[in-house]
Amino acid sequence: MAEILLKDVVKNYGKLEVVHGINLFIEHNEFVVLVGPSGCGKSTTLRMIAGLEDITGGEISIGGTVVNDFAPRKRDISMVFQNYALYPHMSVRENLGFGLKIAKQPKDVIEERVNEAAVILNIEDLMDRTPAELSGGQRQRVAMGRAIVRHPQVFLFDEPLSNLDAKLRVQMRTEIKRLHQKVKTTIVYVTHDQVEAMTMADRIVVMKDGHIEQVGSPLEVFERPVDTFVASFIGSPPMNLIPGEVVMRDGRLHVAFNADQSVPVPASLADKTTEGQKVIFGFRADDLMPDGHAVPIMGEASGLRLTVDIAEPLGTETLLFCQFAGVDIQAKMYNPRMVKPGEVMDFKCALDKTHLFDAASGKSLRG
Amino acid sequence: MSIVSVQPRRKSRRDWTPALLLSPAFLVLIFVVLVPLLFSLYTSFTNYRLIRPDSLYEWIGLRNYQRIFTDSKFWAAFGRTIIFLTLALNLEFIFGLGIALLINKITWGQRTLRTIMMFPMMFSPILVGYQFKFIFNDNIGLLNNALQSLGIGDGAIAWLVDKPLGMFTIIFAEVWMSTSVFAILLLAGLFAMPRDPLEAAKVDGCNSWQVFRHITLPFLMPFAFIAMTIRSLDVARAYDIVDVMTGGGPANRTELLWTMIARVGYDNSRMGQANAMAYVSILLSIAFTYYFFTKLIAARKYMGGAE
Amino acid sequence: MASKTKKQIGKVANWILTFVLMLVIGLPGLWVVLTAFRPNREILAKPAIWIPEKLSLDNFGKIFGYGVDQIAIPVPSYFANSLIISLTSTAIALLIGMSGGYAFARFRFKRKNGYFLALMLSRTVPGIALSLPIFMVWSRLGLIDTKMGMIIIYVALNIPFTIWLIDGFFRQIPKEMSEAAQVDGCTRWQAFWKIEFPLAKSGVASAGIFAFLTSWNEYALASQLTRSTDSKTLPVGLMDFTAQFTIDWAGMSAMAVIIIVPALILTFLVQKHLIAGLTFGGVKG
Repeated sequence: MAEILLKDVVKNYGKLEVVHGINLFIEHNEFVVLVGPSGCGKSTTLRMIAGLEDITGGEISIGGTVVNDFAPRKRDISMVFQNYALYPHMSVRENLGFGLKIAKQPKDVIEERVNEAAVILNIEDLMDRTPAELSGGQRQRVAMGRAIVRHPQVFLFDEPLSNLDAKLRVQMRTEIKRLHQKVKTTIVYVTHDQVEAMTMADRIVVMKDGHIEQVGSPLEVFERPVDTFVASFIGSPPMNLIPGEVVMRDGRLHVAFNADQSVPVPASLADKTTEGQKVIFGFRADDLMPDGHAVPIMGEASGLRLTVDIAEPLGTETLLFCQFAGVDIQAKMYNPRMVKPGEVMDFKCALDKTHLFDAASGKSLRG
Repeated sequence: MSIVSVQPRRKSRRDWTPALLLSPAFLVLIFVVLVPLLFSLYTSFTNYRLIRPDSLYEWIGLRNYQRIFTDSKFWAAFGRTIIFLTLALNLEFIFGLGIALLINKITWGQRTLRTIMMFPMMFSPILVGYQFKFIFNDNIGLLNNALQSLGIGDGAIAWLVDKPLGMFTIIFAEVWMSTSVFAILLLAGLFAMPRDPLEAAKVDGCNSWQVFRHITLPFLMPFAFIAMTIRSLDVARAYDIVDVMTGGGPANRTELLWTMIARVGYDNSRMGQANAMAYVSILLSIAFTYYFFTKLIAARKYMGGAE
Repeated sequence: MASKTKKQIGKVANWILTFVLMLVIGLPGLWVVLTAFRPNREILAKPAIWIPEKLSLDNFGKIFGYGVDQIAIPVPSYFANSLIISLTSTAIALLIGMSGGYAFARFRFKRKNGYFLALMLSRTVPGIALSLPIFMVWSRLGLIDTKMGMIIIYVALNIPFTIWLIDGFFRQIPKEMSEAAQVDGCTRWQAFWKIEFPLAKSGVASAGIFAFLTSWNEYALASQLTRSTDSKTLPVGLMDFTAQFTIDWAGMSAMAVIIIVPALILTFLVQKHLIAGLTFGGVKG
């Protein structure tokens, strides 16, 4: 069993603290993605799990054993690096077998495991080449092969797809997921790309400035972001966030953006706000659609009249960029028709799917 | 030292590995360089002479320094050394730059040229000295023989003896030996030069001189400073050349600080006084190196993320 | 049309300049080499004899003690001394330099730039200035005129630059290589010898050749600290050919060739790596 436990993990570089006491439990065979903007401490956290960085404070255990003072080789892990770190002076076969050779495994075992990995990753034809003779995607596969031959308890991936072009990245995403289903191990995967996080993870860990902001399944994180940071980081396009104030209008709480524009507070949030509170109103582009749209809105809807600045037709949908209360917001339209800049349109906002955040703390009021 | 709210569970131990890895290097250097230098610092305050061992304990304070600082011959040698270094380093830079630009333009046989260019760097300075002593010899030297055969002059120019020519020949030999350090590093710089800024400058309307002045040269400067630093590490190897070619003579016309140290220390066996001079020469070398090293660091920062 | 001719003139000018340059670089050496194969009589002739009448190995025979008029200078033992001192000091300097260079390339520690500068400054001490105190210390330790004495000095002389070069070569190898090896089950020591060292091998070799040449060519210290066939090296031995007023040009040129040849061969072998090492170590902090 290879569950990973991080308890109050702290990392300092000299006087600079970059990871501030992280607590995280990763279950056996779980695929966890650490995601966040650069400098959020995600890679450092991964490298502490790998044993490549000293742990300044706290405790990391793998499979129930505290591994703080263990060298990387004692932790039964393997890792895929951002730039693959294939050994340039060895052939693909030697690269794959290196770890086993170091572990003094008999020759036939090495060969069997190397071949097995080659089949899984479909790189049998490349075995006698050197890394210099491989394309980016092939190097990626070899790096993964090198990770799986040793049958480790835990796989660590450090932004493994960031050096690939967009198309290959999509393809490798599915391959890594498929690999996880085949080899069944605990995977910790670091990326700055929220799409990778959403598509691959069993659970997403959103990090910022050395703290964990939110942990949850992709849908949880997407649908119930705990604060404005997660709301704007996860999902594309980012959630529309408009500052406003809670006021009483027509006997109901509204979020007022200025003197004449306001939106009613959804019923589910009514008892969590008070009049006069400064809030940030959030909703996704998918939940703001032109009135009379083919896709029906579930639940209560509120009307808004907006002027379209720019329309970006994407094929199945068109992204509309509008100005509202001094903030740029985006809406989606699913029936293909040309929209001219400057066109005034009526929109409907799906109120049940909107969010309210406290303006001061940025925390979601859904609690 | 640092106050962290979460008390580290494990004492963050200091990594001694780099200290361990560096210790052999520093031990050797302390033994071979630092200790002898401290010893010589002491002797520079004594009247130590090789032939009288007990003179090692004759403390005479600053008298050695007083003597050399009031000696016009010392100052002449000091001034000559500064002129020698300034001229040599500047000429090496200019010629090196010229050669690098020249070879950069040539496509056919470039590698061979580059290799040939490196040879002088690998010559023993003593050989360079000998080679030019031979070529500049007034009687049988290649140069005078050639001039004579071509009917220019009487072919008896005293290259190594004549007052300005003597300095000229040793600077020539020095420049011949060390220009390649500059040429090679500047050429490496030209190879590493990204094309985009050059093209951008051309599009922006620069002529080729302006491109060179404002784009190429600033990019090359760090490479020039590496060359300067490497050179200044061992400027004193010119001693070998001068020792063979002229021995500092005739009549001290080519006397540099370093040949003077050798004469006073070994030939006149006034160790104390020679050590005092040696300290002046050491400080001079350190000043040169430090100057170029800081320039190098600054230039590197200026290049910033250019990688 | 005009610009085309202009371009061609430029090209021709380039070639002429290059030719002159190569002449200036190559001719002095070639002249010495040629002299080494000519008899003294021809060298001293007035007016000069430009086309050699006869080339022979006589001068080499003489200095190695063969032939009729062999000379009394023990070149073979100088050669042996040079070889032993240079090889031994290079091997030791490489080991020490590798360990130091690796420390600079891979570890962070306080005052790193300061330590680096201190190393480099130790190299700036002029050989002749250093020879005085070493002479005094060595004579107390009985190291004057011994190979051991010279080896120790040359190790110290070569350490700074060896570290500079090797630091550069190790830094060209991504840190992830060593990390990947450690994750793959290596100790740091194994990761070094199995991954990092093989990758830096050619660079280390050229640093070694550079160190070898420094020792092989060194004169200022050797000329003061060696006395006899026990430790005298080739550059010092070269001066044996000059008496107060006469110089044996033929013998000296032959000896010069003996000193040059290894240097030329080795330069040829390392030139590429050397340039890479110098620039990398210097440009990337």
